[in-house]
Amino acid sequence: MNFFKSVIRMSMLAAACCLLFPLRAYAYIDPGTGSYIFQIIIAAFVALSFAVKVYWLKIKKFLGRLFAKKEK
Amino acid sequence: MKPAEGLVPGSFRDPSGFLFWNQGQLYRQVNGAYQEHYDQLIASGLYRELQAEGLLVGHEECDLKLARDRAAYKIIRPALVPFISYPYEWCFSQLKDAALLTLGIQKKALEYGMSLKDASAYNVQFVHGRPLLIDTLSFEKYPEGRPWVAYRQFCQHFLAPLALMACRDVRLNQLSCLYVDGVPLDLASSLLPARTRFKFSLLSHIHLHARSQKRYADKPVRSKQRPMSRFALLALLNSLENAVNKLHWQPRGSEWAEYYDHTNYSDQALEVKVKLVADSLERLRPRDVWDIGANTGVFSRLASARGIPTVSLDIDAAAVEKNYRQCRRDNEKCLLPLVGDVTNPSPGIGWENRERMSLLQRGPVDTILALALVHHLAISNNLPLGKIADFFSRLCRDLILEFIPKSDSQVQRLLATRDDIFPDYHAAGLEKEFLPYFAIERREAIAGSERILYVMRSKVRSGG
Repeated sequence: MNFFKSVIRMSMLAAACCLLFPLRAYAYIDPGTGSYIFQIIIAAFVALSFAVKVYWLKIKKFLGRLFAKKEK
Repeated sequence: MKPAEGLVPGSFRDPSGFLFWNQGQLYRQVNGAYQEHYDQLIASGLYRELQAEGLLVGHEECDLKLARDRAAYKIIRPALVPFISYPYEWCFSQLKDAALLTLGIQKKALEYGMSLKDASAYNVQFVHGRPLLIDTLSFEKYPEGRPWVAYRQFCQHFLAPLALMACRDVRLNQLSCLYVDGVPLDLASSLLPARTRFKFSLLSHIHLHARSQKRYADKPVRSKQRPMSRFALLALLNSLENAVNKLHWQPRGSEWAEYYDHTNYSDQALEVKVKLVADSLERLRPRDVWDIGANTGVFSRLASARGIPTVSLDIDAAAVEKNYRQCRRDNEKCLLPLVGDVTNPSPGIGWENRERMSLLQRGPVDTILALALVHHLAISNNLPLGKIADFFSRLCRDLILEFIPKSDSQVQRLLATRDDIFPDYHAAGLEKEFLPYFAIERREAIAGSERILYVMRSKVRSGG
């Protein structure tokens, strides 16, 4: 569960960062300020569902254990 | 790609290097500024892996004496792409496959500590029936925590046109020809149907993204914050991959995609035509073929099945989509289906109109198939026969042409709603107009029909 807490924390931090700080990208193509900032916000959102997808097995195991304990 | 000399006009934006021709060979100069990235691409094993999986063009390192200037670090010779095509000439599934290739490579690059620094659709070409990244210098070391600098470009080059094709009209792929750096997201957002706002992937990567671009358009940038974790970047790539995978388009209902269901050909005539075209190809033994007005590529396959690199061009996106799906399913290596209108061929676009070649610049070709095409050019498009002959004579050495007379029901259909202002549209008229440009080498009536198949040799291209 610590992992999910940290993902949420990181996501919120990332979102906060991008609202607080303007950015600079060192790239030969223009990443576009709006695109650059936006991807950080959207990545924070999709990171949550991605984490669920990647760690689905772990979640299932965790929930399984949780319910097993309750039954006891 | 036709050998030439000097710098390749479309290869100047990236300071990492450029392409040039030297004595009929294509080389890429890798500049010193790109040294650490190139070395990592090779040393990390990323190049080897992408090569092994057929995702990145292969190259060999050459003598540095070939360098065009002192900025050179390496000179490499990339494998040649048989025919350069552009995203506005691709059908829906071709663009989708190219998009998925780009994302797949970016994910693989991250595993090796690298990242794609651009996501241009022009960096992808179709070789042996599959998409292939052709820009070896697209990779850079991935600084931990940095967002994807090519995110905007990916959305403009791939996601926006794909969404427009899938959700609005497949012909909107032509917008890529108007906007050389991809479809502006505010334009895509305004053109997409309202229902796309209820799809999270399009709401976020197109609609909100466009709004964000507008909001920050004139904001200054100062800080060096790098607030995006590798995990978040992978999540973003995964989200883009889902967005692309969820877009579908079915080639249905177009006049041409069902052409062979409605054609007036008898089985016998079709068989004779196949035999005549196949015989002609055997005799001519071309190195390359363009089939113009190819529909779903039935006759293109007579050439490609003989191992001849064949471009199968048609105006109808549904027919080209069917053609490409068959190529992919059967793992056909020599056929390249493309969307194109021969009466308005792809122009040269970009800087000085030279960054992306016109269709005609990508010729000439050994043999052109123009089967059941001339009546559309002459009657539907009012093109004089002499102009058609002149055009083909400059574009090919040999022409295999099927002429359909006025008495044929297909031509009658074209004339049904208009005045017949084509008194010279008959076989004798065609031969008279073509003779200044072509030597007619074979003239065969297609048994079971009123059609005639000609094999002609260009007097312009053969020096005759």
